[in-house]
Amino acid sequence: MASIQDFTGYKPTWCPGCGDWGIGMAIKKALVDLNYSPDEIVVVFGIGCSGNMNDFLNAYSLHSLHGRAIANAIGIKLANHKLPVLAVVGDGDCYGEGGNHFLHGCRGNHDIKVIIHDNRVYGLTTGQSTPTSPKGYRSKSTPMGLIEIPINPLALALISGATFVAQSFAGDINHLTLTIKEAMNHKGFSVINVLQPCVTFNKINTYQYYLQRIYRLDKNHPKDNFQRALEKSLEVNKEKFPLGVIYQIRRLCYHEQINQISSSTLVDKKRFFDYDVLSRDFF
Amino acid sequence: MHFTWKIGGEAGFGIMTTGLIFSKISSRLGYQVLDYVEYPSLIRGGHNAYEVCVSDEEITALKKEINVLVCLNEETFYKHKDRLVKQSLVIYDKEDFDFDDDFKKIHVSLNKIVHDFKGQTVMKNTIALGASLAILGAKIEVLLDLIKEQFHKKGDQIIKFNQQFAIAGYEEVIKNYSSFLKNFLVEKNEKKEQLVLSGNDSFSLGAVLADCRFYSAYPMTPSSSVLHTLASWQEKTGMIVRHAEDEIAVINNALGASFAGVRAAVGTSGGGFSLMVESLSFAGVAEIPIVIFLAQRPGPATGMPTWTEQGDLLFAIFAGHGEFPKIVLAPGDQKEMFELTLKAFNLADIYQTPVIVVSDMYLSEGHKTVDKNWLKEVIDNYKINRGKINLIKNKAFKNKKPEIFLRYKITEDGISDKIIPGTPGYFYQENSYEHLEDGHTTEEKQPRKAQVEKRLRKWQTYLKNDFQLPKFYGDYSAEIVFISWGSNKGVVLSAQKKLNEKGIITGFYHFNHIYPLEKEKVYKLLKKNKRYILVENNALGQFGKILSMEIGLEIKEKILRYDGRPITVEDIIEKI
Repeated sequence: MASIQDFTGYKPTWCPGCGDWGIGMAIKKALVDLNYSPDEIVVVFGIGCSGNMNDFLNAYSLHSLHGRAIANAIGIKLANHKLPVLAVVGDGDCYGEGGNHFLHGCRGNHDIKVIIHDNRVYGLTTGQSTPTSPKGYRSKSTPMGLIEIPINPLALALISGATFVAQSFAGDINHLTLTIKEAMNHKGFSVINVLQPCVTFNKINTYQYYLQRIYRLDKNHPKDNFQRALEKSLEVNKEKFPLGVIYQIRRLCYHEQINQISSSTLVDKKRFFDYDVLSRDFF
Repeated sequence: MHFTWKIGGEAGFGIMTTGLIFSKISSRLGYQVLDYVEYPSLIRGGHNAYEVCVSDEEITALKKEINVLVCLNEETFYKHKDRLVKQSLVIYDKEDFDFDDDFKKIHVSLNKIVHDFKGQTVMKNTIALGASLAILGAKIEVLLDLIKEQFHKKGDQIIKFNQQFAIAGYEEVIKNYSSFLKNFLVEKNEKKEQLVLSGNDSFSLGAVLADCRFYSAYPMTPSSSVLHTLASWQEKTGMIVRHAEDEIAVINNALGASFAGVRAAVGTSGGGFSLMVESLSFAGVAEIPIVIFLAQRPGPATGMPTWTEQGDLLFAIFAGHGEFPKIVLAPGDQKEMFELTLKAFNLADIYQTPVIVVSDMYLSEGHKTVDKNWLKEVIDNYKINRGKINLIKNKAFKNKKPEIFLRYKITEDGISDKIIPGTPGYFYQENSYEHLEDGHTTEEKQPRKAQVEKRLRKWQTYLKNDFQLPKFYGDYSAEIVFISWGSNKGVVLSAQKKLNEKGIITGFYHFNHIYPLEKEKVYKLLKKNKRYILVENNALGQFGKILSMEIGLEIKEKILRYDGRPITVEDIIEKI
């Protein structure tokens, strides 16, 4: 059985106090708890402080381009659907640069677990505003205040067709570990929006800020009720942050609907060689 | 026998299907075929035309003269009459229009037959095909067979209903024009089994037989028919064919699949390729094999979507930020497309890097007859070579504590071993950042330099093991030597033949392994004191620039065409 140590790679380069430490630990704990070993999982990383986890987490992994992790994860899952596939991404990465992939990933219900480090800034490029920064947010790229209103990650995931939508907090490793485990056990596109303080660049959405505004969802929250989930997702407008699985339903995954891989993974299939059956089309 | 049959009409009325049926009929009767389609970028209202050149021997270029012109509307006649000669036959319906020019008129009551049989406008095509076969001396049965095959799922009644239009057209011509009947398309006694393949068909067949298991694309003319063909086959072949949300997703889906161990490819045209370029660079540094099918059309930007050009060669060669090896191939015709597609998948795996197969609308959408036995032979001789990619998941390591695998180990040939994700006992990362041998991100000088050099060494290995010099056609002693690449192969060969008939002997170097070039060997070939003429379907003479850059050869004489049309034999001859 693997231990936390087995999943631990190089020493992280995150700032002391960064929410990434908590997220990194929760991912490892979840994988250990679920009895995975580093050779049994695939993790795709985007670019950003979140993506830098690539060197700190032992697994088969692909450190992708900014915004493209979900697109790579989809290809990996289709090529070998027996492998659990995680995408570790940031808010600018996933909702900005890769927004289109996020929308269509939800829609396709690809069996991928997407863990979004939502710190509302571009940390690695020194603190510019992101799609989740509040209106009026002043940063190096928006010195007079951000003009746009923020996107709503949970609502976006819901209306786009994600079948598992959750929120957690980088400061609550136990809750996050539990949520990741639930996502790993879910079949389908799983979105975990992780509220994460950036201690270096975001002076507004701090640990204190979140601690005053987060609350755990009631045990009786009806996870399969879309309307109620949508209502929960809108609480962000009142600066309230429900933690937990706000929505979960079972809908067939993308790969489960492809006959070609119903009895074997794509990578393990026998080679097709019947040239005659194809050439008939050209006669 | 060597004639051109051409049909034209309003877009949206089945011209494309009809043209292809004519090509297939000619092929089934034992003739060789080359066809070409002209259509605007819209679904209804514009002018569509399809021409089929038919001959006893291999055809490498279209010819100027049209021998049979089928006009489903008046516009067809006026658009193409400059290519008619006195002996040309014009099939048309007087009810649509009439003309005074001195060509052989074949009036067929297309409208009346459709009306009498309560058919739809699109069935004029079937009547016209019947009429065409009558005038060309073919039997109607071959067309009736094709109709039967086309509608076999819809039952006898639908088959019979459609066949009656063909028969009506056929009989009307036999009855009214007995003195005009030709013997151009009489069934041959000795026939080889042939396939009618477009360049895109060849790529599709090649991809399947090269064991490509994942193809993703976003529709873009002229590459789309690869997506359609592979998608239509996927339940037979087992390939996953995915129409993703945009070209960035397309290539990243494919890179994900390739990372996980399957052969993967994408197809697009210039605009979509532009969107893929950042990820191409990712494939370069992370060393992920990928085959990119780039079917060019005239740019810039949206350009002229349904026409042809070779304007993206330099872009393909230099695509991607940073320095990394990639291999660019450009097949000259349908056969080369098949062979080089098979090869491209091997090269991508062997060198763990992107391989771009460059086509253009002329090659991608035009059809040519290919001997089925030739195809079979190529397939039988093809061996899948995955290089240093090891798919064997050694279960013996199952209980071993997983350790890091040196995915980017420095090697003499520049190529590192790869095991596939999920292999027990190991783990590694593939990284878009510069990295150490174990994949870990680095910014240190020495490992950076070592990895850059390792990657670029793959080019040296390729040049040594897999590069092929241009093929030479014609006479080595010739003073005039053409230099060209990709789909211009056929037209230059045809021009050489014509020039030869006039007593002008020529030589021709045709490049299909475009980049990188083995400089010294190419220099040796081309350093001779000859009259070199560059032939390209673009405005800048892009391959000429590559030769100038790589071997210092400046070709002064250029035959360039960039009006969206393919180069013709006449374009070449008039410059000699």
